[in-house]
Amino acid sequence: MVEETLQRLQSQKGVQGIIVVNTEGIPIKSTMENSTTTQYANLMHNFILKARSTVREIDPQNDLTFLQIHSKKDEFMVAPDKVYFLIVIQNPTE
Amino acid sequence: MPISPTNSRKQPNLSPNNASLLPRRSISFNATGKTPVKGYIGANQSKMAASRNILILPEMKSAEKMNVPIIKTTQVFDINGVDVTPRPLYCPDPHVGTAKPSKLLSSQEGSHGSEFISSYSLYQNTMNPSMLGQFTRSVLGSSTISKSSISTTESIAEDFEEPSFKRERLSSLTDLRVMRAVPETTITKEDLEKNIEIILTESEMLQLLDLPTVMISVESEEVEKVIQRNKNYEILCKNRAGNDLYVERMMQTFNGAPKNKDVQCDKIVTEDKGMMATTWDLFDSYNALESLSAKQSSVKSGSKANVRPKDRDQRLTGSNMEKNSEASSLMDIENVILSKIHDDEEDHSDAILKSDKFHQDLFFMERVLMENIFQPKLAAYRQLPILRELEPEEPKDVSEGEKLEELEEEVKKEEGEEVEIDEEQATIPANLERLWSFSCDLTKGLNVSSLAWNKANPDLLAVGYGHFGFREQKRGLACCWSLKNPMWPERIYQSPYGVTAVDFSIGTPNLLAVGYHNGTIAIYNVQSNNNVPILDSSESPRKHLGPVWQLQWIEQDRGTTGDDKREILVSISADGRISKWVIRKGLDCHDLMRLRRTTGGVNKKGGEKEKKGEALISRQAPGMCFAFHPKDTNIYLAGTEEGHIHKCSCSYNEQYLETYRGHKGPVYKVTWNPFCHDVFLSCSADWGVMIWHQENLKPFLSFYPTTYVVYDVAWSPKSSYIFATANESRVEIWDLHISTLDPLIVNVANPGIKFTTILFAKQTDCLLVGDSDGQVAVYELRNMPTALDSGRGDIINTLLGPKSNQPG
Repeated sequence: MVEETLQRLQSQKGVQGIIVVNTEGIPIKSTMENSTTTQYANLMHNFILKARSTVREIDPQNDLTFLQIHSKKDEFMVAPDKVYFLIVIQNPTE
Repeated sequence: MPISPTNSRKQPNLSPNNASLLPRRSISFNATGKTPVKGYIGANQSKMAASRNILILPEMKSAEKMNVPIIKTTQVFDINGVDVTPRPLYCPDPHVGTAKPSKLLSSQEGSHGSEFISSYSLYQNTMNPSMLGQFTRSVLGSSTISKSSISTTESIAEDFEEPSFKRERLSSLTDLRVMRAVPETTITKEDLEKNIEIILTESEMLQLLDLPTVMISVESEEVEKVIQRNKNYEILCKNRAGNDLYVERMMQTFNGAPKNKDVQCDKIVTEDKGMMATTWDLFDSYNALESLSAKQSSVKSGSKANVRPKDRDQRLTGSNMEKNSEASSLMDIENVILSKIHDDEEDHSDAILKSDKFHQDLFFMERVLMENIFQPKLAAYRQLPILRELEPEEPKDVSEGEKLEELEEEVKKEEGEEVEIDEEQATIPANLERLWSFSCDLTKGLNVSSLAWNKANPDLLAVGYGHFGFREQKRGLACCWSLKNPMWPERIYQSPYGVTAVDFSIGTPNLLAVGYHNGTIAIYNVQSNNNVPILDSSESPRKHLGPVWQLQWIEQDRGTTGDDKREILVSISADGRISKWVIRKGLDCHDLMRLRRTTGGVNKKGGEKEKKGEALISRQAPGMCFAFHPKDTNIYLAGTEEGHIHKCSCSYNEQYLETYRGHKGPVYKVTWNPFCHDVFLSCSADWGVMIWHQENLKPFLSFYPTTYVVYDVAWSPKSSYIFATANESRVEIWDLHISTLDPLIVNVANPGIKFTTILFAKQTDCLLVGDSDGQVAVYELRNMPTALDSGRGDIINTLLGPKSNQPG
């Protein structure tokens, strides 16, 4: 079931990759090659933690539910959770 | 104790002068008096001290008791004649010997400095050793002696400084003596257990420094004396040079060899640890502490499939879960490596992937992706401004003039177009723009048989897939699609029979009724992920025997019984029954009407009375569609395969109220006008679409646009003049206000695909069209003529009058 959904996501238009990282920043599942995966995972990890820290700093009862970074070429979408982060990279104009 | 500080302070001063004192010391044994020497001149301080030292000794000794046999050559007596000869430190007598070393020890352990000790021992070497023991006692006791002896103690201190220069020579002896003293000390158990009384008393104030002023006020009494003294001093100074009274002498001192000592310690590993006290960190810690006390047992025993051991430990200790707020300079590389190859890691990652939260996140992610992909289309659907992706702009500074002009032209063109559109609406005709289509692999190749919107959630669409004809029967599918994800349905309900009708409930919007080709009706709860229907009519004895062509949930007034509106499910099927289903203990049905065949002879014979065509035993006419009156839910229309439309009432289940004859073929759809409640629309397999007035048994408008079967027809929810039809080859939008002869918009289908169902979207200008390939396309109606506010109800008048084509 999970695999199916992941497959579907991966086959969507413009999706470049899906990464699941755990709290340490280590990818546990990825559809991209290893080097890019590690790079993305490391870079996004800190950013996500910082974003969550920012949100919670303002109001500790609040929490980050979704993060989208829209850049010129890509879009990073992150669904954070306590034990993992789900990162999807999409190129919507492709 | 003042002695040690003075030791350290005065030592450098004294040592250079000590050499000269040595000879003097040895001969100055005489108990000449006990006057403390005061008023000495500072330069020869130590000399005086030396002599004074000896003088003082006897004085001191007078207070002491001597219980040690004296072995010495010289004897010292004080003025009273008491033998105050110094005794040796080391005595052969063991008993006594212990006493002195103990004293020594005690003095050692006391607050005296080590220098002091060595000076003790040194002193004894120079003088009689036996003196030292008494000396120590005297020193110990000196602190309690009255103030008058303060200066003496000081001088004693100075004195002890003297032999320090001899330390080197006699250091070995000193050491020996000290060390030998140590093992002879035997402390008995009794001694240990004995309570030692220590009396602490406040010592008198010791002046450590007294710097008298050297200036006095001119007005004080002593002015004259001071001035005189100053004058004398000046004269003295003048006379000094060349005077025999003053002799200058030089002295050389020995400098002790310094010794360096290096010490190396283990490398001290430092670790910098930084922590940011964030608000949420504090919040989490407090919460964790609270929940910890509440759930201690459950945390330990509960399932930790999703929690890594490290995290768990951290939570238990109530510390922050997020390690990011800590900054540590020590790179814990080992841990990172370990965690990579840790066996538990795999289990946890699997657990993560299988967790529900992950599913949910995937679900949301999919929707977000869809939003990205379909943003323009969805925006158009929802009539929101479309975000245009910025084209990568070429650097304007390079060819500014040209580029700018081009851009401006483009902008102008667009504006021009819009302006044109506004001004001359006729130039760009109304058209259907295809936005997207709901389709996926599962639905490919299936025929869309019915569409229905959810009553509560306007984004949820139910689509039934199933073939109409008997021979083409394949498996059936009922899907719930959400606008937010046009690529995969939210719910999929499969069945071996084709689905012919779907409808969402009004009162409980999560119930979906599905009618099948074999006559069964199933009710699904779309809230749950379960694929099993909650209710099924397959076991009901009165289930339909033919395909259920239409289903609808009706809220009926139970006026007679005084109950509130109750919702019933009405179905019409090919076995000629219109049934009402009630959910009690399972689906229970009750026939509202049995459609009987009526003979067609009435028309031909014109004015003749109808025969009693309602024979007592007559065949059923398969019912194809029905429509309840929007206002009066007791009245409904039913279309049959014969081509007749019957107006029936729920109160009568045997007879029709009216029969509308016009169609030559099965009536596939009949629908009331949402604004004008006397008008209804019907379409049939005889290629025709007809508009009726309920008072009139003949249609007053009929359309035969093509030679294809019209499968579906629907009124627009926005205007009473607009309706849409779907026949095999095209979708047509008719606007009666503009023309009754030609459709406003015609959208031709791709070859091989038939349009089978049609549905308007309520809030927006969109149209859903289902086709025979399993796709539900969403079209946007653009540039539609604006609806007239007036005349919604006057459709009949406007149409009936000049344009009606009804016969006589």
